[in-house]
Amino acid sequence: MSVALPSAEATRRPRLRVDPFVLLAAPGLLYLAILFALPLAILLFRSFQASDGTFSIAGYIAFFSDPHNLSVTWRTLKVAILSTLLCLVLAYPTAFALARARGIVQSLILVAMVLPLSVGVIVKAFSWSIVLRSDGIVNQTLLALGLVEAPVRLLFTETALVIGSANVFLPFMVLPIYAVVRQIDPELSPAAASLGAGPFFRFFQVVLPLTLPGVIAGVAFVFSLAISMYVIPSLLVGERLSTMSMLIARSFLFFRDAQLGSTISAILLLMAVIVVLGSSYLVRHVSGGRA
Amino acid sequence: MLQQTIGGVAAQQTVAPSAPYLSVEKIAKAYRETRVVEDLDFAVERGELVSLLGPSGCGKTTLLRLISGLVSADAGRVVVGGRDITRLPAHKRNVSVVFQNYALFPHLNVRENVGFGLKARGRAKAGIHDAVTEALQLVRMEAFADRPVSALSGGQQQRVAVARALVVEPDLLLLDEPFSALDRKLRETMQVELKSLLRAKGMTAIFVTHDQEEALAVSSRIAVMNAGRIEQYADPVTLYTRPATGFVLDFVGLSTRIAGTVSKSESGFIEVDTAYGVVRVPGRFRPGSKVLLGVRPERIRPVSPDAAPADSEVRITSMLADVMCLGSKTHLYGEAAEDDRLVSEVSGAQAAESLLPGESVAFEWPREATLVYPLGAA
Repeated sequence: MSVALPSAEATRRPRLRVDPFVLLAAPGLLYLAILFALPLAILLFRSFQASDGTFSIAGYIAFFSDPHNLSVTWRTLKVAILSTLLCLVLAYPTAFALARARGIVQSLILVAMVLPLSVGVIVKAFSWSIVLRSDGIVNQTLLALGLVEAPVRLLFTETALVIGSANVFLPFMVLPIYAVVRQIDPELSPAAASLGAGPFFRFFQVVLPLTLPGVIAGVAFVFSLAISMYVIPSLLVGERLSTMSMLIARSFLFFRDAQLGSTISAILLLMAVIVVLGSSYLVRHVSGGRA
Repeated sequence: MLQQTIGGVAAQQTVAPSAPYLSVEKIAKAYRETRVVEDLDFAVERGELVSLLGPSGCGKTTLLRLISGLVSADAGRVVVGGRDITRLPAHKRNVSVVFQNYALFPHLNVRENVGFGLKARGRAKAGIHDAVTEALQLVRMEAFADRPVSALSGGQQQRVAVARALVVEPDLLLLDEPFSALDRKLRETMQVELKSLLRAKGMTAIFVTHDQEEALAVSSRIAVMNAGRIEQYADPVTLYTRPATGFVLDFVGLSTRIAGTVSKSESGFIEVDTAYGVVRVPGRFRPGSKVLLGVRPERIRPVSPDAAPADSEVRITSMLADVMCLGSKTHLYGEAAEDDRLVSEVSGAQAAESLLPGESVAFEWPREATLVYPLGAA
């Protein structure tokens, strides 16, 4: 055991001291506390407040007893899950291409990912409605190829919503996965191959577990963005297929029902928080503190 | 186990009596326009430890990857134990690789890393556990079985990488600069340890390295590579005393090197015009050819410029440029023309005290100790 002496790690003791670098987060945290946490707390408080100011859960009862609200909640959830999945399928290979590409190619892929973010959602939504119209390029192509006999209804459907939102949120899936992939030692896959692991074994035993933290982060990002989107559904599907955000807006602006609006906000927030906390728990769990 | 090995060898010999265990034949690999390895032949006997030695970019790592199947050959064959594996993907070759940075799986602990190859081969859990424990004992890492690999030191990581590569009982073990990430002291310990471990297992192994001391320490034969070709493949003594090319002369060990032009050639001797006058050495080159003269430093003695030269000796005169005392020996460097080197090695440290840079000095060596290579052709 000449070389295998106890490492410094064994003698190191954890110290109870505040790392001065933590203080660097103070301005950002203070900003968020005043402009995000405080209003949110007020909103939550108001969801339990009747119009006369007394405590009441009437808002929650009213929300869940209306089948329309339940179908909106279900649709919101479904669209968020589907667009998260669509993003994941598109983003996973892209992240690898981005990590392995060099020089100009890498820059081009990165720009292609980030540049669309600079185009406002409204501009995008209107351009999709041009493409997805019954006489738009998608339908014309489908008709020309003989795949359909009559134009397919694309606008004002959940499909349009999933396609549109995945389009906007794709970078938020690609970038966290890319950040993880670029950290992976490129020799790991060859090492696994030389140990007798075929392509599937390599993917499921090496590549996937190592990229999982990025996947989970991306899913948390995209899901929480997709579940609370407002502009995209307003422009693409309108009032016909509402989402929870639209319901919230309508409660506040149209019905002037602050309690209902606050209630729906609280429910929406809870769904997003569950996914975000759940995914950060998963990150710690799957990486086992080793990654 | 012993009987099995003997039986294996016997069976081998009935198939191909004189075929080496690993045989690389006319292999070639190019990336775009760059030919990294060209028409290369290379062979290793069963149980032999050999090194591929060369500067970076000489193609040694590519050759290693061609043998392991991590890159595919453009032409040629790779045969291990009579089995042509040229067209097999890496995971079907049963050739293990120890990587320069060890490439341990960061999401797995020590035991899971070592067991990876067995799991990939679909072995039963109990069998894997026992084999892994045995492999960890072999590299004396059994106490670390449940540690994450990130908690290990460099030397410990290397042991895990070696255990992981050996536990699958490969036909061939390839090691890509396995010691380069370790500090000098630990490197020497690990070299000795690994060599005796591989010997004990009867493993056939190829080390890739750019460090000649490492090659000399771990292998019985060394293939010196340059520009995609093997310049010389021989045991360490032959490489040092009879380097086949000027490149090997320079790359392996220290040498005096003097460029010159042949002015006269007769009866096995040539006279060479050098920056230090005409020298007469054994050799057969046409007058007018550019040649490189090489002499190992321990064959050269520094002598007083006034003493009469013996006829059996070559003598050149220069100024002493530098005196380097290395403890048990001292290197004396003479002022040399560009691309030349004049160096003499004397034993002991006393020379460093009696000689001063700037003094006039004569270097003398036996004529037959001169190595002559064509220059400029390569």
